[in-house]
Amino acid sequence: MKIKILGLILFLVITGQFATAAVADDRLRIYTVNYPLQYFAQRIAGEHAEVVFPASPAIDPAFWTPDVDTVGAYQDADLILLNGANYAKWINKVSLPRRRLVNTSTGFAENYIDAGSGAEHSHGSGAAHAHAGVAFTTWLDLRQAVRQADAIRLAIIKKRPQLKAAVDKNFAMLESDLLALDAELESIVSGNQNQALLASHPVYQYLSRRYDVNLHSVVWEPDEYPDQSQWKTLENLAQTHDVKWMLWEGEPATESVENLKQMGIGSIVFDPCANAPAQGDFLSVMKNNLAELKSAF
Amino acid sequence: MHALFLAWQYLVFNRFRSLTMVACITVIAVLPLSLEVLLDESERQLLARAQSTPLLLGAKGSALDLVMNTLYFDDEVPELISMLAVDELLATDLAEPVPLYTRFNARGFPIVGTTLDYFEFRALGMAQGRQMALLGEAVLGASVAESLGLKPGDTLLSSPETVFDLAGIYPLNMKIVGVLERSHTPDDLAVFTDVRTTWVIEGMGHGHQDVSQVTDETLIMQRTESGVVASPKLFQYNEITPDNIDSFHFHGDAREYPLTAVIVIPDDTKSSTILRGRYLEEAKLNQIVLPEKVIDGLLQNIFRIKNVLDAVIVLVGSATLLALVLVFALSLRLRQRELQTIFKLGCSRATIAYLLAAEIFIIGLVAGALCASLLYVVDGYSSDLVRTLFIN
Repeated sequence: MKIKILGLILFLVITGQFATAAVADDRLRIYTVNYPLQYFAQRIAGEHAEVVFPASPAIDPAFWTPDVDTVGAYQDADLILLNGANYAKWINKVSLPRRRLVNTSTGFAENYIDAGSGAEHSHGSGAAHAHAGVAFTTWLDLRQAVRQADAIRLAIIKKRPQLKAAVDKNFAMLESDLLALDAELESIVSGNQNQALLASHPVYQYLSRRYDVNLHSVVWEPDEYPDQSQWKTLENLAQTHDVKWMLWEGEPATESVENLKQMGIGSIVFDPCANAPAQGDFLSVMKNNLAELKSAF
Repeated sequence: MHALFLAWQYLVFNRFRSLTMVACITVIAVLPLSLEVLLDESERQLLARAQSTPLLLGAKGSALDLVMNTLYFDDEVPELISMLAVDELLATDLAEPVPLYTRFNARGFPIVGTTLDYFEFRALGMAQGRQMALLGEAVLGASVAESLGLKPGDTLLSSPETVFDLAGIYPLNMKIVGVLERSHTPDDLAVFTDVRTTWVIEGMGHGHQDVSQVTDETLIMQRTESGVVASPKLFQYNEITPDNIDSFHFHGDAREYPLTAVIVIPDDTKSSTILRGRYLEEAKLNQIVLPEKVIDGLLQNIFRIKNVLDAVIVLVGSATLLALVLVFALSLRLRQRELQTIFKLGCSRATIAYLLAAEIFIIGLVAGALCASLLYVVDGYSSDLVRTLFIN
């Protein structure tokens, strides 16, 4: 009898292992060009996909270039999620399977914002670049983020039609979360529509348009103390637009914050969350951003 | 049994005459049958390639040029279309497009600019190295690698379109990163690269020194607040390396970049029918063709020629057979005394008839065996023979 029970347990363990392996093999491999898309895709696909954004968390994905091995990993993915709006220019210099590429912002391509011709600069040891052409932080308009998530939903369903019910359910939850943030952001900003803000970097164009924020950008790095000419530019902007607050992409240098305070300008961190945060996820980062923004309105 | 032995001995004794008769019969049988085998194989190969390509999109004009250039990388370049055609196809959501730009060549082999989808579509695996990843990289068909003695890590320079095209396209030194598994198709004889690399060869994309940083003022024609106009003296890179890849950029509207064709992979039969219907409109500048239908038309012409050849072979064969009958009849007359001797030795007329029939049987058997052996060899090499003689 004991032998029979042991045999049954062994059989169940073995078949269980096979079943787990089968599910794991069937999982979609999705590669993305930034963290928001990774977050959306993982929320939508759940356990049915392994979603990867392979850049180091310290890198700005918009100006990152993967090495050949990483390009090979992108080539092997079932889906490659692109942000569109000329984000991640490296995709124009590598060979990727077009049939597996999904441009998540095609649905609102006609609403891209022209970013003009920005000054060239670099972030630490990163490559020099300019924020010229099309503004690319599309997900900061959270309704656009929902449309990007919807494009991901459709792409996953096209790949795995049998997952439609689960994917639709997951998408509905993500949509609800994003729209709740959208409504809250709209409500915060509507409290004081005349409030002018400064932005440390020209990455908030979609935020400004969607929520009607009176925003003016300089090109500063949070961790670098600006030079005299940069301060001069800021002073002119602050005087012209009666600015009281400045949005930073990341935690600003203490000296910069102190100097701004003396000029009567407060500092708010509004992280676009283009790369994976050290703590929390996209939603929690956006909630923190909103909490910070409340102090300005 | 005795009749066969005597017949065999007779044929061996008259070996020259016997061999001539065997050779005549063999040639008469082998010629039409070999032709049949080769034509069947060429039909199979041509149709297989065409049947595995659902639809082709190209400029209106010669459908045959379009199909031959796209499927067999023929030198005749069809009218060009633009990348806009790919965007339009994608917008229909009825099919997956695989763009192709087959215009340039490198050391006599066609350069096929495409996307990675092509390899997946044709089920082409890598024999050596890896798949192309960066701009300027190329993978070789098995026969190209063999003929040119190239392997991953080597480079291959694209050829100018004409010797006198001094102001035209810049040759691009492509880095070989992989060699494809032999597929026994025209893919073995092509150099594959990303379609954007072919646009670099065409001069639509290029890399050069940063014009805002150059100190040699002779390189600058005009410098304004909005930009810099470089002189033709500015050095342009003829090889894309990790060090200079960031300087490579494209000019103009990407939707206007040229292609020779687009392989269209419809989602299903209904999508295929809808798409074909849409491109029947007169106003459309592009056409969608069914490669199978175009190749079928080509084969009809080939078979018309084959019918003429068959008729010639039948005539020659008939004449040869008549000559053989004549040779045999004359030999009977020459052997009159020999046959009478056999009769006088006590053999019946029926036995003599057996002897003669045994001779014919042995000649037929040897010719048949020879014919079967030759056909076996032709059939074994038919695949390569067809590619060498007819397709490439």
